[in-house]
Amino acid sequence: MHLMASKPQALNSIGPMRAFASNSKKVSTELIEINEVLMGFNQYYTEYYKQLSDTWTDAQKKVNLKAPEVPHDVEQIDAFKRIWIDIFDNDFTELFDSEKFGENYGKLVSKELELTKHWNNITNVILQSVNLPSKEEIDEVYKEIHTLKKRVGKLELELKKKEMKKNAK
Amino acid sequence: MQNESAIDPKIFEEILKFSKNVIDAPKLVSAPDEISLEVTKHDVVQEMDKTRLLHYAPLTDKQHKTPLLISYALINRYHILDIHPEKSWVRNLLQQGFDVYMLDWGTPTSMDKYLDFDDYVNGYLDAYVEYIKNESSVEKISLQGYCTGATIATAYITLHPENVKNYIATAPVIDGWRDTTVISNLAKHMDVDKMVDVIGNMPPEFMYYCFSVLKPFEQGIEKYVNFFKNIENKKFVDSFLRVEKWLSDTPPIPGELFKQWIKDIYQDNLLIQNKMYVGNQLIDLKKITMPIFTQVAVGDHLVSPECSMPLHYAVGSEDKTLRMYPTGHVGMIASSLSQKKVLPELGKWLLKRS
Repeated sequence: MHLMASKPQALNSIGPMRAFASNSKKVSTELIEINEVLMGFNQYYTEYYKQLSDTWTDAQKKVNLKAPEVPHDVEQIDAFKRIWIDIFDNDFTELFDSEKFGENYGKLVSKELELTKHWNNITNVILQSVNLPSKEEIDEVYKEIHTLKKRVGKLELELKKKEMKKNAK
Repeated sequence: MQNESAIDPKIFEEILKFSKNVIDAPKLVSAPDEISLEVTKHDVVQEMDKTRLLHYAPLTDKQHKTPLLISYALINRYHILDIHPEKSWVRNLLQQGFDVYMLDWGTPTSMDKYLDFDDYVNGYLDAYVEYIKNESSVEKISLQGYCTGATIATAYITLHPENVKNYIATAPVIDGWRDTTVISNLAKHMDVDKMVDVIGNMPPEFMYYCFSVLKPFEQGIEKYVNFFKNIENKKFVDSFLRVEKWLSDTPPIPGELFKQWIKDIYQDNLLIQNKMYVGNQLIDLKKITMPIFTQVAVGDHLVSPECSMPLHYAVGSEDKTLRMYPTGHVGMIASSLSQKKVLPELGKWLLKRS
């Protein structure tokens, strides 16, 4: 019965719009999943900026301890700048080298990639609705070209070796 | 009142001068596209896909018999080895009488995402080595690898030792677990499968991020303050802009190559353990038995000395030399120190064996 009911609806949209209408559910699902991923992304994003902010505050405290007086001449400003840069570079390098930063950053990038993946999926639905190849289909072509190139290269090499042997005789 | 009078008026002079330099900068500085990084004359003698083989014109009447091929890194481009006539690595070697070739890896596009270690080692590098052997009528050539280019060269030499007479490994990326740099930390936590699956090639923007977290304040603030302070010094500005242009020109890295790189070198550290495979062939560093010259920079914050040095101890060569220089990753190849110390030592070593 429901199959019958869908026929009249499908009849009034033909061509790309019909395909798009039939794929709209996929787009909605992707959008819902994007929201879920965004929650995870925000968590790691907040942690990322928290780590940067905490490191900045600690580094500034160290600078204040080391150079408590306001510089009054050019030499003092240069010395202060050197202290500031050295302490900030050291502290931030220590942060970027740390396990906690690497782990959180890895997860942040991973969530960003998941968001991109969902966006790619939506784009694929749209591409297919207008009869264009999806990213996966294009990738398959690239892979096939790569395999063929490799095969041709090997055959050329074998041919070259045979020719060299022949010439040597 | 006392505090106000204590401030040196020179501070205000400095601030005004600096502001003036910032305003004048657009008039004094060339646009990036006006700067040519092609310094030493060369011909493109071979091309394969997007890669090219450059052959530099000789600068001496007589040249040493064994040609030298430089396998440049996959990050940024080969221009840093020929960035300025006074700091050119290539020019110096030519002046010492060496016949120099350079491998330009080119700019991969989305279509190249399936290029892997095998393509780079047994495809491009092998084809160019064969070409040079034929052109120069020699059985073996000398090979130099720089940074990630040295990892590719190292893998190549273990699989084709019969083609290489001498090997120069300059800041090679070898032992990922010993690497103490920020890049290594980021690489260890990277979901590289997902990255390559979703975005294909490793995008230049990500590489910029990785570089920007290396000495962020020295590189992000001090460097530019110095630039504006020296805006009227033509030599300084020219040198600065050349390096900046080189830094901003980072090609993407093919996805499959990048995936294997991160997994085998940084995450699983297979290369130094003689467990890495390239095109189904095991990379055994003990198979490197030709003379080897390893160059390491003590202040290298891209490839730490601990990451490079294990190569010296892992190879099977009896004739091996390890040199450490008090400089950084780029300083070792494009500085006055490289001209005065690094290159003369390399030339002397190579001359004896060429």
